[in-house]
Amino acid sequence: MKQHQDITKDRELLLGLAKGEDKSLEIIYSENFPVVLRMILQHNGSEDDAKDIFQEAIIILYEKVQNDDFSLSSRLKTFLYSVCRHLWLKKAQRNYNMYSLSQDLEEIIPATEEVEAHQAKDQEFRIMESALQNMGQPCQTILEDYYLHKKSMQEIAEKFGYTNAENAKNQKYKCLMRLKKLFFDKYKTL
Amino acid sequence: MKDDMILLHEIERYLEGEMSEAERIAFDELRRTNPIIDQQVAEHQLLLQQLEQFGNRKNLQAKMDAIHNNLDIPQLRNQAQAENQLAKRLTIRRRTITNLAAAACIALVTSLSTIAVMQHEAKKKSTAQYEDVRRVLNNIQRSQNVLINDFNNKRRAPANPGTYGGTGFAVSGNGYIVTNCHVVAGADSVYVLNNKGEAYKAVSVFEDISSDLAILKIADSSFKGQPLPYSLKSQNLKLGEEVFTLGFPRDEVVYGKGYISAKTGFNGDTTAYQVSIPVNPGNSGAPLLDSKGEVVGIVTGKQTTSDGIAFAVKSAHLKHLLDEMPKDKQVRKDLSHKNHLEGLNRVDQIKKLEEFVYMIKVYN
Repeated sequence: MKQHQDITKDRELLLGLAKGEDKSLEIIYSENFPVVLRMILQHNGSEDDAKDIFQEAIIILYEKVQNDDFSLSSRLKTFLYSVCRHLWLKKAQRNYNMYSLSQDLEEIIPATEEVEAHQAKDQEFRIMESALQNMGQPCQTILEDYYLHKKSMQEIAEKFGYTNAENAKNQKYKCLMRLKKLFFDKYKTL
Repeated sequence: MKDDMILLHEIERYLEGEMSEAERIAFDELRRTNPIIDQQVAEHQLLLQQLEQFGNRKNLQAKMDAIHNNLDIPQLRNQAQAENQLAKRLTIRRRTITNLAAAACIALVTSLSTIAVMQHEAKKKSTAQYEDVRRVLNNIQRSQNVLINDFNNKRRAPANPGTYGGTGFAVSGNGYIVTNCHVVAGADSVYVLNNKGEAYKAVSVFEDISSDLAILKIADSSFKGQPLPYSLKSQNLKLGEEVFTLGFPRDEVVYGKGYISAKTGFNGDTTAYQVSIPVNPGNSGAPLLDSKGEVVGIVTGKQTTSDGIAFAVKSAHLKHLLDEMPKDKQVRKDLSHKNHLEGLNRVDQIKKLEEFVYMIKVYN
């Protein structure tokens, strides 16, 4: 009964997360982070490791709840915990010389699917990130302001000192073309 | 360059639905006929989608960082470390206890088994050297016919060959027989057989476990007593004196000859002799006689570690025992009369003696 209630509560939290509600994110974060922190510390990790791993797990969760067909089969805590274990295992394997792997981490954790699906998306994210960074200022800011922060061309023109919105728009198109080139150069070699 | 920008502008308008109906139809037509433009549209769509996802994720990460910064990290860390240490200590303690328990078990088993083995060895050491020479009669088989015949002839022992066998000899004319205590131990019933094949039922009337002697009395009314030809020697024999015995190691009476090899018995027992004489299972309770035909002892057992060493209880001890018996069971003092065997040669001695040596059969 209790577990059932927990899952119901978890579902509500996930719905909130999908809608981008800050409150849900905050609850999920603060309730689950201590457990993951403890696990990472136990396996020779640092606080920063715990933060990175946990946030990556939340991103995986976020990407999954964006899909409509996602349904939680286990408790949220269990899901996050096993994804974090898996991520940490992978990281520890990468830096094999850095960390000695403890025995109990090497057991099979049923989170492989989630983590591998995430990795493709993660790569796209990295390409976009580096493309944006390589464009330089003010292009990066103009594109971020227009496409991500949804500012109007008028605001952007004022911010960057363009005489009118039309000029700013032309500048934006130039930047977009460069971004397109930078992004697809790498994206197509994927 | 300029054219590209115009195209981009158009694509954006197309995707965002800012075009008028006519423009959109024209653009659709353009996409259909010009694959390059179609590809540009698809790429643009993908780029914007990627850009949006990037933005979402950035946004999420920023939010998470904010939440993370609000958490009391040092406190969480301390808590986590404390819990980890506790868990570790518990694991170590559990492991230690398990190991200790295993070690203790092994130590216990080892010491117990050592003690058991040592005790067993110590016991075996003394018993192993001494062996009773009663005979286990499991090699004799009788047919059903014999069993039926048995009803017609009451003079014979029951068809069952008996479980154990030994030897005994008369110590009085009226049916008292001496044998070894271990021959009749645990007996349900005892039969004695003489050299003519006549069997009599006997009962044990006195047993002395310490010297391993038992006195039997023939309980059959058909038994007729006769005077004994030999007497009981009360003095101890000297070392090296020649002795002989008659016993039943098999169904036939067997003669054996030897000499006194020591004045004490097994483990320095002063009531017995050590005799160098061939002794086999079944000889238990056989009389030991000197060259004059006087009874000097009763064969009881032999040493297993070396051949030809037997032990016999001294006749003086038997005499002592007979004197000590309760009055109502008193043996007639037949043994103190004159010895009739003196001066005869061995063959004649044995001939006279035979009648008074019995095979003892024990059923249990």
